[in-house]
Amino acid sequence: MDSVHCHANWAAGMGGISFPLLADFHPKGAVAGAYGLYLAEKGITDRATVIIDADGVVRHASSVTPAGSRDIAELAALCEAVNRNHSGTLPAAEAPPGITGATLFVKNGCGFSRTALLARTNLHLEAAVQVKNVSDDPAALAELEQLAGKAQAPALALGGSVQLESVDIVRTLVSKTTGF
Amino acid sequence: MIQVGDRAPDFKLADHLGRQVSLAQFRGTRHVMLLFYPLDFTPT
Repeated sequence: MDSVHCHANWAAGMGGISFPLLADFHPKGAVAGAYGLYLAEKGITDRATVIIDADGVVRHASSVTPAGSRDIAELAALCEAVNRNHSGTLPAAEAPPGITGATLFVKNGCGFSRTALLARTNLHLEAAVQVKNVSDDPAALAELEQLAGKAQAPALALGGSVQLESVDIVRTLVSKTTGF
Repeated sequence: MIQVGDRAPDFKLADHLGRQVSLAQFRGTRHVMLLFYPLDFTPT
């Protein structure tokens, strides 16, 4: 229901998330409406959960009302039930590529570096993505300058290429980890 | 509210990383859980 910008801010505040936060914002609530979950009189979306199998068929739909809260253990059980009962709809499922041998260059006092670091933590990539702090480590700074052609951090070095924008870094970490 | 057994309406929306995400792109490869919520910065 919020805009892309609000979502980006929220996601950064939570430290990066592995699932897409979708902006059902323009026209407002159009997708929620298609699912019968837009509360037009309040101008908000219901707090509801819909699980769809890989054939596009709804396998679960429930609401806890906007003021309610979801039971995370129950959601996990619902997911497991769909996995168990509808795995036949997943013929083309492939494991995500994953990440190995990446280096994340960061600097102190930098919100963009913090965002990239939090995404690494949240995606459980501590072992796969080595961190080098260019504020504390002259050798790391020299390495960054050689790889990127400039002393800009954060930077993600992976497979011979370097990314210098935190949103690109997070997108790469997410897509390699999740497969999309 | 949509019912179990219904065909889920397709959608294509921008996500927080600037990607266009559709339901159709997961056909045959993923189950999808949609978590609708009223506003950012509210509980799960």
